[in-house]
Amino acid sequence: MIGGPQFPRLTAHNHRVTSPATPDYNCIAWCAGDTQHWWQPGVYWPVVAAADDFGIGVVEQAFAELGYADCGHDISLEAGHEKIALFGSGAFYTHAAKQLPTGKWTSKLGRDVDIEHDAPDDVAGGVYGEVIQTMKRST
Amino acid sequence: MAASTLQPQSSADCRERFNRLAAEWKEKSRFLSNTAQMALLRPYQAIIGMGMPVVPLILEEMEREPDQWFWALESITEENPVRPEDAGNVRQMTKAWIDWGRQRGLMK
Repeated sequence: MIGGPQFPRLTAHNHRVTSPATPDYNCIAWCAGDTQHWWQPGVYWPVVAAADDFGIGVVEQAFAELGYADCGHDISLEAGHEKIALFGSGAFYTHAAKQLPTGKWTSKLGRDVDIEHDAPDDVAGGVYGEVIQTMKRST
Repeated sequence: MAASTLQPQSSADCRERFNRLAAEWKEKSRFLSNTAQMALLRPYQAIIGMGMPVVPLILEEMEREPDQWFWALESITEENPVRPEDAGNVRQMTKAWIDWGRQRGLMK
């Protein structure tokens, strides 16, 4: 189980670990369907970005390039669409989570494990700050 | 600032300090995905501040366990041996840096 001060909203009942830890990919890559790269602005990123651009805008641009558009904070399950949630804390983008076809969500936690969780907010409130934006695209 | 950081360090001191800072950084960055956020953590910045003497220790550590050491290596050495087509591939980036280190006699 993942929890503690870094994830104060995770409980034994709202998430489960779904894969072992690996440094090969991060949450941004995971949401983009890529388990072969660690996505980083200026290094491996779908749009031109400076290596020291670390704000929420650069991750929003990346997912816009992948066909996603802003949908406010609507985390409902919509037929024909897939959704992601973007997180931020201070000046940084911190995390992205992706909705599964079941309506649950999946997160790669840094270089650590992947988890399935009930809602985006389950991984907020600690190291990832809060959900800043939700985006969706047609499937 | 601790007096020890103002005095020349032996290689054993350097290794001990690196091991301590690396462990601290790994713990603090465990769940982070934003590389800039990871690199701005104090232990990582302290490792960069150790300069060239720490490069062999970083290479040794990343050979043992690949991780986001690329920012530090580029900052210290002002080099980047990673081929453009390997960018983002942690295993290939790690190999490029280890090969770079071996070519320069920084690793066994």
